[in-house]
Amino acid sequence: MTREIAPGIHWIYEAGPDRTEKLDLAERQPDWYEPGQKAYIPQCAYLLVGSDKTLLFDTLSPANTDQVLSAIGNIVGDWGLDYLVVSHPDVPHAGNTKAILNEHPETTLVAPAYGNDHELYQLDDGIQVAEGDSIDLGGRVAQFHEATFLDAPVSVWMTERDTETLFPVDWMGFPHLDREALQFVDELDGEFDVSRLVEFHSRVLFWYQYVDVEKTNAEIDNLITKFDPEMIAPAHGLVIREKAAEYMALMKDVTEIIDDNGRIGTLG
Amino acid sequence: MTVPATQTVEWISQCYSHGAQHEHVSLYLIREGDDTILIDSGSVYHRSEITSSVDTATGGDGPDAIVLSHSDYPHAANVSPLGGGTDTVELVASSGAPSQQGLPDARKCTIGGQLDVRGRTLSFIDPPLADRSHTTWIYDHGDGVLFTADGFGNYHEPGQCGYHSSDFADMIPEERIHAYHRDNLVWLRYVDPDKVERTLDDIFDRFEITAVAPIHGNPIMGEDLPKYRERLYESMKRITDEYEVTPSQKPE
Repeated sequence: MTREIAPGIHWIYEAGPDRTEKLDLAERQPDWYEPGQKAYIPQCAYLLVGSDKTLLFDTLSPANTDQVLSAIGNIVGDWGLDYLVVSHPDVPHAGNTKAILNEHPETTLVAPAYGNDHELYQLDDGIQVAEGDSIDLGGRVAQFHEATFLDAPVSVWMTERDTETLFPVDWMGFPHLDREALQFVDELDGEFDVSRLVEFHSRVLFWYQYVDVEKTNAEIDNLITKFDPEMIAPAHGLVIREKAAEYMALMKDVTEIIDDNGRIGTLG
Repeated sequence: MTVPATQTVEWISQCYSHGAQHEHVSLYLIREGDDTILIDSGSVYHRSEITSSVDTATGGDGPDAIVLSHSDYPHAANVSPLGGGTDTVELVASSGAPSQQGLPDARKCTIGGQLDVRGRTLSFIDPPLADRSHTTWIYDHGDGVLFTADGFGNYHEPGQCGYHSSDFADMIPEERIHAYHRDNLVWLRYVDPDKVERTLDDIFDRFEITAVAPIHGNPIMGEDLPKYRERLYESMKRITDEYEVTPSQKPE
């Protein structure tokens, strides 16, 4: 499943398993949940098409190999895929790296420069990018940044300069209902409920339960100043294309809520 | 290299060199009667050494079960070469979405729960120190060993690869514990160390821990655990103190 979120930026979507039972939604009934609906924490990759080059950010999971290969083929056609950027070597983000490189031998692998054990992830053959590095695709430029809120040390965030889109990988993910797949956040019914962000971050970025709230929220303010994006394209949520900085500011509430209430539960 | 850790737990020690210092990327083997259970499966980087070590340790039979702390490649890259997920080698993992983690044949363990694997009782613990959300620490009720995946690690010098904590002149140096956690659990820069410490206290109160078996460090023997935990706490404090949030500019 794909959607073009801006000219030349394609959202490639994997729903993953129905999480309704695991998140105990029927019992807990958070405001955003509708009884009888299935709920998903998606896995998202993004394919950028410039006038000269193409770039894929993340690979989806091994459960969707055929679908991601098909989506890439449909979008790039005979142009080919020039760059595959792996945000971090977590299986749901990087699990189709080999399959994509086999299908597209023309592709250059791009890995985070951060961390110190790339060989263990078979990422030592790629070019490595860090804060300040960029790739010019022709008419659009992918810029790379140190990942601020992360799990694996070998991680990188990305922005796209023309559309001012931030790709914050595991940060700013959230669950959605079955019928909301591939919708922009501004297309959802009603007001966006911060408890969706709490649900994700208290489970997946499990270390939120231990943070120093003041320091973490100062870092979020810092990120808003640094990026002030027009659009946010997370790996585990829906795309935000309106009031993006306000949604980043909402993450400060998430920090405080998790500090007050603790972790909702695991995702394992 | 296979090194006894406790009476029925063996350490299959593998190292990755960062030049002047090494990092373990190990796995462990539990013996339960005639059966063997692997905790993690190691990295593709060490595949031939690991399959050879396991082959030797099991008399050519291979393991009877593999229990994964999580699906991260340095921990789970040798599941298939070691026969995991087949009719003869049971695979146990904690992921709520095993197909997305590349482990479609895994038997699911619940974090916070307990399983009997080949006659051995294992508890699965929500870990305060990890690099992936679905990580579980594994407590072995047989020998009292806590397998801590990415937590409780340390770098070490060449020549210390097969050391237990008690083989060091003054236990594992704080500098090595600090450097490992700073580099690998980057998010520690944002934590309040006392919050992590309280969770560790709960775990150590709840389970009778005779040894800690990290994947990325030397095994820590029971008598050394208080000193290791002191050094870990000081390391966490130092990591948080060393990182200051500094205002940055919007990129050009």
